[in-house]
Amino acid sequence: MNTLLAGLATVSRRDFLKTSAYSLGGLAIGVSLPLGVLGKLQAGQFEPNAFVHIAQDGATTIYCGRCEMGQGISTALPAAVADELEADWARVKVLQGDADAKYGPQNTGGSRSINLMLEPMRKAGAAGRQMLVTAAARTWGLPVEQCYASLHAVYNRVDERQLAYGELVELASTLPVPDQPTLKQRDEFRYIGQPLPRHDQGEVVVGKRVYGSDVKVPGVKYAAIRHVPVYGGTLKSLDKTAALAMPGVVGVVEIPRFDNPYGSLGGVAVVADNTWIAEQALGTLKIEWAPGKNGSYNTTEYKQQLVRNVEAPARVEFEKGALDETFKQAKLKHAGTYVGSHLSHSPMEPMASLAWVREDRCEIWASTQDPVGIQKTVGAYLGRKPEDITVHVMMAGGAFGRKFQCDYVQEAAALSRAVGAPVQLTWSREEDTRTGYYHSCSAQHIEACLDASGKVSGWLHRAAFPSIGSTFDSSVVQPSAEDLEDVAQHPYGIANLRVESGLAEAHTRIGWFRAVYAIFYGFAINVFTDELAHEAGADTLQFLRDIYDNNHDAEQNEQVQRCRGVLEEAAKMAGWGKTLPPGQGLGLAVHHSFESYVAMVVQAEVRGAEITVHRVDCAVDCGLVLNPDIATAQMEGAVIMGIDLALNTGIDFKDGAVVNSNFHDYPVLRIDQAPAEINVHFIGQDYRSTGLGEPGVPTLAPALVNAIFAASGKRYRSLPIQVSA
Amino acid sequence: MSNSITVNGQEQAVDVDSAMPLLWFLRDTLELTGTKYGCGMGLCGACTVHLDGKAVRSCLTPVSAAFGRQVTTIEGLSADGSHPLQIAWVKNNVPQCGYCQAGQIMSAADLLASNPRPSVADINAAMQGNICRCGTYTRVRKAILDAAGKLQGA
Repeated sequence: MNTLLAGLATVSRRDFLKTSAYSLGGLAIGVSLPLGVLGKLQAGQFEPNAFVHIAQDGATTIYCGRCEMGQGISTALPAAVADELEADWARVKVLQGDADAKYGPQNTGGSRSINLMLEPMRKAGAAGRQMLVTAAARTWGLPVEQCYASLHAVYNRVDERQLAYGELVELASTLPVPDQPTLKQRDEFRYIGQPLPRHDQGEVVVGKRVYGSDVKVPGVKYAAIRHVPVYGGTLKSLDKTAALAMPGVVGVVEIPRFDNPYGSLGGVAVVADNTWIAEQALGTLKIEWAPGKNGSYNTTEYKQQLVRNVEAPARVEFEKGALDETFKQAKLKHAGTYVGSHLSHSPMEPMASLAWVREDRCEIWASTQDPVGIQKTVGAYLGRKPEDITVHVMMAGGAFGRKFQCDYVQEAAALSRAVGAPVQLTWSREEDTRTGYYHSCSAQHIEACLDASGKVSGWLHRAAFPSIGSTFDSSVVQPSAEDLEDVAQHPYGIANLRVESGLAEAHTRIGWFRAVYAIFYGFAINVFTDELAHEAGADTLQFLRDIYDNNHDAEQNEQVQRCRGVLEEAAKMAGWGKTLPPGQGLGLAVHHSFESYVAMVVQAEVRGAEITVHRVDCAVDCGLVLNPDIATAQMEGAVIMGIDLALNTGIDFKDGAVVNSNFHDYPVLRIDQAPAEINVHFIGQDYRSTGLGEPGVPTLAPALVNAIFAASGKRYRSLPIQVSA
Repeated sequence: MSNSITVNGQEQAVDVDSAMPLLWFLRDTLELTGTKYGCGMGLCGACTVHLDGKAVRSCLTPVSAAFGRQVTTIEGLSADGSHPLQIAWVKNNVPQCGYCQAGQIMSAADLLASNPRPSVADINAAMQGNICRCGTYTRVRKAILDAAGKLQGA
């Protein structure tokens, strides 16, 4: 199971290729879908594959198999299908596909949707176009070369007559589906690269977009839940007398821990006629919990222990060159230790799902990132085959990695089975905050040195954090070699390098949080580099250029060039070196993650205990950008989340339970803290499209910390920053 | 005062516990799900609706507080999505996941009603009760300024 985790958590291409075969249900990169998968053609409809459907009136539906949570994938990928199909986007309706293998991998995480699905979905569109063109050619008795498709119609070059797509549906649906349709050249793109609006904005602004928590079915009951507050704890006693006496209460249901990585922590739920009654009744329950072995988890002490674990020799996971000797001969040596906190995803829509379990079928409507994971988990819980669980993928009101795990869906299924009715379960914000799957808290220690010529010659990097692997295998008590590969493969290419793993036993559930381990790797490496440049008396921009220029590792050549590219672009955008008002500073960071490259320059002001981010300039290389406006929005969102985790948020545990509960004590960023200006520029568009949902997050916090140092001379090494005036 | 509420112009009889927050009456009883639950404590603004034209947090407003009064939700802000803010929201492609955006728009509509030409500082002050976890804040500002310009021109 660990390999599965590494596939999502790590970012190097090599590791990605290695693990994707496990993590994506056997479909490796370059997903190959049989384009004629449906096989069964219905009269009067053209449905050449899972993604394309054209009716006789020309109305076109394009299905999106990847889950939508605000990242815009249900616009970007279907627009690419429409492009190849030569469909008129104005006549296209996008529908979200249910859980189904015909859509290819649907587990939506790791910034892989475009990376994995662009080519197969373009082929799906191109196959449709080719069949429509062939149908027109047959109708006219012309060779296909004389015919071409353009905006929902096929034309011929002989007399420029046209046949609308709708008119061709019947004949096209009798033709064989081509296996290798011809894709457009880049200069033929109609929608790819254009800032098309999201397909559903019109619905959102009138309140008609249906999220997982909005689904209604006849006879639906509503549920509220309280979980055991400590991971591994159990229910000791329950008095439900008062709740059962309340009008409108359908039942009080004990949900035992379901021992599955995506299973319920265990808790007690009330099912009622509406959410309010369920919450009120929940409040009357008298519950005693037995905390179990994690009952003494305390993050203040735990992080101190992690620091001790990285400030002493630890398990060596990777080594090259002769580090000890290099350190002995160093001209300058520097060390730093960096600490990060647990984070909660806190999407605005808390965990929510509707389940309807019946004798002969089970139907689920859920905000989710992993519908197939729901089929497996709920199937295992109910003792049914995964394919017998129907999962309708609903719009997720934010997810950020949390809705990859489907504990809340399994709970809804447990409740539906218990009360014999469809049950809509919505977690309270408090449950969402207190019983999630958290981003790892972490400690990292870096020591590096410069040789006599001023080159960075040696680098020691120790990291200790509870690994996501621990959620799947409790014997995992420290980062694995796979977890640390991104440090080992970091494109600095330092000749003498050692990477070590420190002990960090998990005491809560650890999950994927947007950008995952790249958050703390990007932080430690970039802040340390800024410190090292300062120690060396160098400008950070020039210092980074020199590091990249001194990397002669042929395997890292492309990474180095692309890091260098975004670095130069961001510096140019921000006017690196410009004179700023007193109290302000610029900070720089570069990070390569999820196969993409991001550099950021943050302009920040420090005034007493107050830190203001005025402006952020982002240069991004994620290859060909499908939709520049949505891509820009992803970066803007990453900047906001980056400021949030740098300045505001951290989850704390005391006596095994989360201390935070709601937005007053988990103060995610608000509009008054948002920068006045976020500029985003994309370069490197000749490369293949790569991930974008996550790579923007890791650079913000270090760039901000470096800007604070430039502005005030104060160096912060722990997140969130505890400002001392 | 009768036990009924006018919601988006339609009178609705209320036969639920009068302490029930307006939010759950809207969502679970009337099945008007455009108004969202986010925190239950008036901290995030996702549940913002108008009560007699003023923005309130429906998660903290007992349904009884709306008896005999006019409630407007995102579904009723305009008949056809043509409120200047709705147009500006689409034009600026503001929403990402969109879950908080009904509350954002309802708060912004209240702001523009009392301050048709807000500065960025006014916007920050008026909108700081509406959290967006996707981070659409710079576009929220832009869209409000955009809509304000339109209102002026109208």
